[in-house]
Amino acid sequence: MSAGLTNWEGRVGAIALEQTAPPGYGVVLEALAGEIELAGARCILLDSLIGGVMPDLPEAACERLQASLQAIDLLSQHLAGLSAFARRLGMETEDTCEAPVALALQDVTLGALADRLLTALGSESQGVEERDQAGDLDLF
Amino acid sequence: MVRTPRIVVADSDRALLEMLQIRLDLAGYETLVVRTGRAALDLVKVARPSVLIAEVQLPELDGFGLLEELRLSRDLDNCQVMMMARRLAPEDVRRAAVLGVKTCVAKPFSGADMLDRVAKLSNRSAPAPKAVVWV
Repeated sequence: MSAGLTNWEGRVGAIALEQTAPPGYGVVLEALAGEIELAGARCILLDSLIGGVMPDLPEAACERLQASLQAIDLLSQHLAGLSAFARRLGMETEDTCEAPVALALQDVTLGALADRLLTALGSESQGVEERDQAGDLDLF
Repeated sequence: MVRTPRIVVADSDRALLEMLQIRLDLAGYETLVVRTGRAALDLVKVARPSVLIAEVQLPELDGFGLLEELRLSRDLDNCQVMMMARRLAPEDVRRAAVLGVKTCVAKPFSGADMLDRVAKLSNRSAPAPKAVVWV
């Protein structure tokens, strides 16, 4: 995979996974479930933050935000369902079949997410943190 | 005044730590997270949590080593302990029980499931499902 690639700074997944055996599909699905669960938690946090400021806002602004809150609530439930699906699938999947994740990780442009996935899939972290170098890696 | 229950979570999985911190904080707990066993050891001694949730396979000092040190120093005397692991052998479960672990949780789990377990462990009623506040 990725032989001959240049200007690869920030493509943490591609670099490190060349050095380790590919993970099994069960591990990959569990890592995905964990990330979806985190996205769901962030939705719940956003919902809570918006709900917290609404009493201080003018009525017209509150009405506009209600539709957003409904969308966030639906998204949160959507993510909970996807997470449960991936989690169960991961638990029921044997790890004997290796997942070719290196190329897929190259498509993850959010650095912190790529680094967390990398770690969950058995490689060394490249030390990319949220609010650090966590943005779209193509901007580097 | 009722003290907010303080929880220390120790795991090297950053996604899991952030997810648990958000869910537990919103449920009314004060949540402190660390990524290594050594950091957990230092934090528990200072923070005196009412609940400790620790992964078995922690870097620097594993979950069992962490609990052994904290039991020796009596820093867990007023703390309920939960362990998390992807797989736990029967001897690990026995070892956990000897170290006073109340609950062992198999990974992966949902945030909602963990909230229920923490509520039971800390003798609180489980938080109501998150509902949107309509104004």
